[in-house]
Amino acid sequence: MKYAVEMNDISKRFGDVQALEDVHLDVLVGEIHAILGENGAGKSTLMNVLAGIYTPDAGSVKIYEQQAVLRTPKQAIAKGIGMIHQHFKLVNALTAAENIVAGFDSGVWFNAQKVEAKIEALSKQYGLDIAPSKRIRDMSVAEKQRVEILKVLYRGAKILILDEPTAVLTPQETEHLFAILRTMKREGHSMIIITHKLSEVRAISDRVTIMRKGQYIQTEITSEQDEQTLTNAMVGREVDLSLSCVPATGTELLLKVDALTVLDDLGTKRLKSVSFDLLKGEILGVAGVAGSGQRELCEAIAGLLPIVQGDVVYEGESLLGLSPRAIINKGISLSFVPEDRLGMGLVSTMDITNNVLLKEYHRQKGFFITRKNSRVLAEYLVDKLNIDTPSISHPVRLLSGGNIQKVLLGREIENNPHLIITAYPSRGLDIGSSHLVYDLLNAQKEKGIGILFIGEDLDVLMGLADRILVMCEGKVTGVLTRDAFDKQKIGYLMSGGNAHGGSDV
Amino acid sequence: MKRIFSVLLVMILVFGAIGCAPKATETSTTEETEATEAVTEAATEAAPLTVGFIYVGPIGDGGWTFAHDQGRLYLEQELGVKTLYKESVPEDAEVKTVVKGMIDQGASVIFGTSFGYMEFMDQLAKEFPDVKFLHCSGYMSSENMNNYFGKIEEPRYLSGIVAGMKSQNGKLGYVAAFPIPEVIRGINAFTLGAQSVNPAVEVEVVWTSTWYDPALEKEAAKALIANGADVIAQHQDTAGPQQAAEEAGVFAIGYNSPSKEKAPNAYLTAPIWNWGPYYVDQVKKVQEGTWSSVNYWGGMADGIVALDALSEIAPTEAQAKVDEVSAKILSGEFAPFQGPIYDQTGALKVNEGEVLADADQLSMMWFVKGVKGTIE
Amino acid sequence: MFKITKQRELPIVKVVLIKLAAIACGLMLLGVALAFLGHNPIKVYSELVLGALGSSYRLVETINVMIPLTITALGVLIAFKMKFWNIGAEGQIAMGAIAGSYLALFHSNLPKPILLVGMVLLAMLAGGVWALIPAFFKVRYNSNETLFTLMMNYLAIQLIVFLQFSAWKDPKSFGFAKIAQFNESAIFPKLFGVHIGWVAMLFLVFAIYMLINHTKLGYEICVVGTSKNTAKYAGMDVKGTILKTLFLSGAIAGLVGVFQASAINGTLSVQVSGGYGFTAIIIAWLSGMSTLVVPFTAFFFAILTQGANYIQTVFQIPQALAEVMQAVILIFALGSEFFVTYRIEWQSKGGPTT
Repeated sequence: MKYAVEMNDISKRFGDVQALEDVHLDVLVGEIHAILGENGAGKSTLMNVLAGIYTPDAGSVKIYEQQAVLRTPKQAIAKGIGMIHQHFKLVNALTAAENIVAGFDSGVWFNAQKVEAKIEALSKQYGLDIAPSKRIRDMSVAEKQRVEILKVLYRGAKILILDEPTAVLTPQETEHLFAILRTMKREGHSMIIITHKLSEVRAISDRVTIMRKGQYIQTEITSEQDEQTLTNAMVGREVDLSLSCVPATGTELLLKVDALTVLDDLGTKRLKSVSFDLLKGEILGVAGVAGSGQRELCEAIAGLLPIVQGDVVYEGESLLGLSPRAIINKGISLSFVPEDRLGMGLVSTMDITNNVLLKEYHRQKGFFITRKNSRVLAEYLVDKLNIDTPSISHPVRLLSGGNIQKVLLGREIENNPHLIITAYPSRGLDIGSSHLVYDLLNAQKEKGIGILFIGEDLDVLMGLADRILVMCEGKVTGVLTRDAFDKQKIGYLMSGGNAHGGSDV
Repeated sequence: MKRIFSVLLVMILVFGAIGCAPKATETSTTEETEATEAVTEAATEAAPLTVGFIYVGPIGDGGWTFAHDQGRLYLEQELGVKTLYKESVPEDAEVKTVVKGMIDQGASVIFGTSFGYMEFMDQLAKEFPDVKFLHCSGYMSSENMNNYFGKIEEPRYLSGIVAGMKSQNGKLGYVAAFPIPEVIRGINAFTLGAQSVNPAVEVEVVWTSTWYDPALEKEAAKALIANGADVIAQHQDTAGPQQAAEEAGVFAIGYNSPSKEKAPNAYLTAPIWNWGPYYVDQVKKVQEGTWSSVNYWGGMADGIVALDALSEIAPTEAQAKVDEVSAKILSGEFAPFQGPIYDQTGALKVNEGEVLADADQLSMMWFVKGVKGTIE
Repeated sequence: MFKITKQRELPIVKVVLIKLAAIACGLMLLGVALAFLGHNPIKVYSELVLGALGSSYRLVETINVMIPLTITALGVLIAFKMKFWNIGAEGQIAMGAIAGSYLALFHSNLPKPILLVGMVLLAMLAGGVWALIPAFFKVRYNSNETLFTLMMNYLAIQLIVFLQFSAWKDPKSFGFAKIAQFNESAIFPKLFGVHIGWVAMLFLVFAIYMLINHTKLGYEICVVGTSKNTAKYAGMDVKGTILKTLFLSGAIAGLVGVFQASAINGTLSVQVSGGYGFTAIIIAWLSGMSTLVVPFTAFFFAILTQGANYIQTVFQIPQALAEVMQAVILIFALGSEFFVTYRIEWQSKGGPTT
């Protein structure tokens, strides 16, 4: 038996959108297979077809060289296919073992000992390092992910699909994950990894299938390809991958954050005495695993979260107690793209014009509003940033992630801010668009604007930022200047270690 | 913007059309182009007469509305007229909508059978001078509207005799709807009847502020029983109080229609209505063109009110006493509100040998001595 | 075997067709029930329409129902746009009616124009303030507005009961608990045979359309409705917007109250809100939260209400059955939302192959 998965001529249409068109995929037994593609290439859709979540309009699927009908996730699991989603589907109040068994064992009684023993064994076998009786709420993100992996293994999966598994991990955790994947591979499992990070494709996969705009492009042996060729195939044209950072020259202080402490709605401390300076004409990168306080930092500066302690001084003036609108009027722009992309910054149900209006309408005089200027600006943005939309009156919710980002960032930059706070501005963007965003930010920097850049891809941060501030659990664990950038070191700081401890291990 | 203007335009046209169209009730031309109007016309011009009834409760209430509906059925049977009715019409402006709807369907005689309909019927009577309005239990009248009612206090007085004789402890309970003269007269007559056989008797009154609410009426009766009453009378449209008595093992006087089967172990008797003959009489007059607005207040002698046959659990000696007083009432020798009558404060309201004038009865807002309760 | 999946945005024509088809299904089901009861369903339905539109008198009555439905629906619609579930229109109508009635009963000696304008203003103020109470608790303590507004309904209705039975009881009613009829000067005049409320209705359709689409407040309402976070981020005064909007929503309902009390009932009674506050919610919903669709939906409902009243007397159909008819049509109309949002995919046993 050679093939674990063979998908042939798979097509799937959502309304007017052809999400997949005659796509092929074959995965060997005992292979790690990467699927590479930009947002909207159809990677996730294809995997959802394989996992029985979507039913394809046309095409056939063979599992272990047997014709298979995968109409529900249950049928897929029965065939040995398990999917680990980007968003974990775990119950916080339950233990790992309970989560793993939930909805699978048909019996009424739950024999904790027997189940935990079995899980323990599985965990050891693959080096997953999970204590079955630990509760999910006490786990780190990486642990939760490993519980998800255990869950599908426990259900007998031999073919694992991992959707962007590294997005939430530190570099060290990523290494751990890859080690697990290699162990599983040795055991004869097949793995499919969806990703858009080229370095990871090269680090872990045996072969790579490239998709573009719902179409199959090609399948290659990874080791025979370099990053540039893969990128070109993914994007469909020549792309310049280099990041440029013109070293900051300014010395003038723009923003001073001093011993900032912030609580969330539940009264938990989300920022613990955070202090840093931001100079004019500087990009200050912020690194940290998701949920380390980045969001709260942004919101505190923008006046959206009450500050419990500390001070935020902007151009020599304290921002404490100012309304969000007063802060906006001072030229501080926040373009925050949280996990759900549309939660803040854009109004999902509204069109581009109305979203452009969001930052402009209050400057209009009187009771009525006109959308004339917004329409002009919207047209301009669509044109300049190459936003892919049927029209400016199309709801942004229906745009792809990258285009949503462009609308958001484009609007913010057009408001001529002095300080840009941007979080994950390239999340979900294709490579070309990402570089467009980086260029935009660099251009702003050259104009002397200070930029606080919350990032997730360390390569990007290191390529773009003048300095990198590392956060862990609401604290600043270190600030590195450009000459001291080191991926390992940042990784250790992200997991709470201090700048010195990192290199010793 | 274009869209909204077109919407406005359409709506203005619709309203314009209403404004220009002649009112259905004003048209009497023979040539009708609109088919629908022709239907209306046909109904009003050609016989048979259409008579509308508006009821305050459902016809299945087994009480007030049931009694009126029996009258309506009797009318249909006797005269063959077409009748319309609507149940559970609240005592508010809904009356006007319902009646206008009936007139629109060709009704030219309207019977309104609840006190609270009065003012609305009065307004309607002014608006529709060609329609005859007959209102039950009120006091307003005009050219084309009369009021009609029966002296239910006569049989109520008789029922008081039965209750007074039946009671062991002299405590009677009375579940009453609204503190209006109609109800107060009933309570007073009942009390006087009971006192005629047992001078020490007391009647406790509870107001429910509803004509028709089986559960509430029952609850009120239970409260009275809890206070010691061993016979319950009622001015309500359902058998709820009688059922409460049945459950508690005490006795009850019904109202409106015979209702022995609702509470066989409690039911003594009931003052009852018989509307049919009056309805036939009035409608016949309309048909003959001799109807004029005459207020009607008939008594036992006219057959519109009566006391139901005493049940076997009624005191044996009661029948003779009831027969005796009944004969006096029928002959005009006696009336319930015959002096001397004292009010709650002990003041003499009616002198010995006199009978309270009709006008004073119709506006009676005081309780006789022996009633426990207040007029709010 | 079938599978339920989320529907893509449907063109408006399709949505309307789905809803019409659903109502047709409801009518068919009812037709079977009517046939069992010995009525000819086709005759009943045609009489229903005739009963609502068959003569100018009937049309006026139907419009008398349409007016409060439309205006109230507009009121709840602006709150709903903000995702503030104002279930309290009943109470806001009642409060408006109480406030308007106060002037009508105790200051009827004022010149008619002043009296009527005063009644309108006072009614809107009362309805607005009544709606402000739950809005205040929402912004201050994040209380659940659905329950809060619902409970406020009962308070307002009971307040009318109190007034009817004691404070404002008509002394001339011989103990019968009712409030006196308004003086002629406190009754709103008619224009083209329908009380003046229709002018207010048309104006409000236009005004609310403009408000939502062409004003700052309308824009803020829509943003707050989609995401409070985004609204805060854009520097909007979210709490202020909620308060302002709810005042407006309640004031519009209050206006209905004064029209109903004066022009329709001629006095204040507990039936003044007549369930319009609840029906209006359904109308706003069925209109897809679109201002310009509201009058048409309201007209449809008015036809249903009036027609059902009519056939009751014509066919002597019991009141309860007429109410069941309305309810069934409603359930089908609302149930059709499912088919607007979701799509059922039928699948052959063999599964897709090429």
